Amino acid sequence: MKNRASYADKMRQANREAKATLVGLAVVVIAWVALGFGVASTGIEVFHTPLWVITGTVGTWIVAIIVAVVMSRRVITDVDLDDVEEGGAHE
Amino acid sequence: MSSLTGLAGLVPVVVFLAAALGIAVYSRSRAAKAAGGGFVGEYFLGNRSLGAFVLAMTTIATYGSVSSFVGGPGQAWQTGFGWVYMAAVQVTTLFLLYGLMGKKMALVSRKLGAVTVIDVIRARYKSNVLANAAAIIIVVFFATTMIAQFVGGAKLFAAVTGYSYVTGLVIFAVAVVAFTTLGGFRGVAITDALCGIAMLVGIVVLAGGIFTAGGGYEQVMDTIAANHPEMLEPLDAGGMPVGLYFTQWLLVGVFTFCLPQSVVRTMGFKDMKAMRNAMVLGTVIIGFMMIGVTALGTFSAGVLTDDLAAYGGSVDNIIPQVIVATLPPWLAGIAIVGPIAASISTVSSLLIAASSAIVKDVWLNYRHPRAHVQESVPVGGASGKPDAVRDDRVVRIVSHAMTLFIGIAVFVLSITPPDLIWKINMFAFGGLETAFCWVLVCGLFWKRATKEGAILSMVGGTAAYCIAMALGFKLFGLHQIVIGIPVALVLMVAGSLATKQPDDETRAVFFPAD
Repeated sequence: MKNRASYADKMRQANREAKATLVGLAVVVIAWVALGFGVASTGIEVFHTPLWVITGTVGTWIVAIIVAVVMSRRVITDVDLDDVEEGGAHE
Repeated sequence: MSSLTGLAGLVPVVVFLAAALGIAVYSRSRAAKAAGGGFVGEYFLGNRSLGAFVLAMTTIATYGSVSSFVGGPGQAWQTGFGWVYMAAVQVTTLFLLYGLMGKKMALVSRKLGAVTVIDVIRARYKSNVLANAAAIIIVVFFATTMIAQFVGGAKLFAAVTGYSYVTGLVIFAVAVVAFTTLGGFRGVAITDALCGIAMLVGIVVLAGGIFTAGGGYEQVMDTIAANHPEMLEPLDAGGMPVGLYFTQWLLVGVFTFCLPQSVVRTMGFKDMKAMRNAMVLGTVIIGFMMIGVTALGTFSAGVLTDDLAAYGGSVDNIIPQVIVATLPPWLAGIAIVGPIAASISTVSSLLIAASSAIVKDVWLNYRHPRAHVQESVPVGGASGKPDAVRDDRVVRIVSHAMTLFIGIAVFVLSITPPDLIWKINMFAFGGLETAFCWVLVCGLFWKRATKEGAILSMVGGTAAYCIAMALGFKLFGLHQIVIGIPVALVLMVAGSLATKQPDDETRAVFFPAD
């Protein structure tokens, strides 16, 4: 669904999305520390593998995918990139 | 070395390169017939036509290089799972690039008719000095990275097949220079998608080889635990210090979003839906690729159990060794297509971007010194005047010739290979990040940023970074990126606040809301 926002509105929305991206980065950084160094301190092992190896790598990856999905579904809006507000008639 | 693959290893590589060449030429010629738009916009940006899959793959393949496939995993063989844990930081790169830069670059570059990252920088800061400095920095650091790619790819090829280093170099160089020159940005993006697939296939094939040769997953893990228990700790008993995690977060995680070869991709996508889907798809694929290939390096320690000296004394030899040791020749040939694809896809993207910096940003700008980007070369719209048609033909010839020339120059420089491929790559990453980070971020998000601040930031920051590198000077023993980025920031802020605000015209494009 494309909206008919003005160029200024679209740029303002892009600023909001950039801020949300930084929040997403913070989430992944925190998850990475907790799932790697954090889990390593527990010393748990599964399938002959220290648990932190799995959570720190694959776990961080899954968190990043969740961040990407939330960003792409809930945060980033579809806008018409070809600005038509001034010149008018090219569709 | 146990056995070299010879011809069986050569055939898949040659078939792959021929396929890439065919696809690049076909996609470009089809697009040229269909669109009929301006040459510059098509050759350097593919007329902003990338869909989600190709966008995700071209971003990943540009970024994922031969050091991700050879140097990094080799280091992981020595360091253990800490190196894999570190490689996992790269899962942030795609959503950072698209989330921070994507929409704004797409809007601004369309508004300006910009084809290159430097077009946007020139329009934002209204400075030819800055644009020329950016072009020089791009060409120098891109050339450095391309050499590292050629050398890495050719060394790997030689080690696995037994053919000479120069044979490998000639095969890749001819293929990559040909398909970049003929295919342009569109051809590069589409072959990048093919390369990305080859990289994924290479990982899966090699995983099969390692676990089969090592007696299964659990046996491989037990061998590692018995020989090197420290490889199962995140800090590798001191071999993997916290400071290294920190600087790698900056170098290959947080600041990759400002690499110009990545940013240009945010100017090339078709619509927002393509970008949103590429964000998810790209994060899935880059995680699989970077975590997967680096983990294979560590798992190789369950198969290659001798000291490093037994493998030629360099971790760069580990992946070639494990390929020949664990796979039959024909599968080994398929496995090496992965890293070779990683190498050529990075080269092709840098080659097209480097030629755009010279042709579009320097040469064309001097030819039409008074024209702004939107007047001189609208994307997809050369006018029908006879002058414009003749101009278009000259630009076409010069663009192709420049791509060819840079490709040949890099090839010649690669004939005598430098050492330390992995570090050369990181040097170039750090330099580009230092040069472009604040110029781009402040250009898009800080309306007070001025021409003088940007010039100081780009030139001063890069100089500080390179001088620190040359002198071997480090803060707290950390990579020089921790010098370059803060110096560039301070210069940007101080230089901007000391000078006059940008004019209204600039603000109308970049900060219409304020």
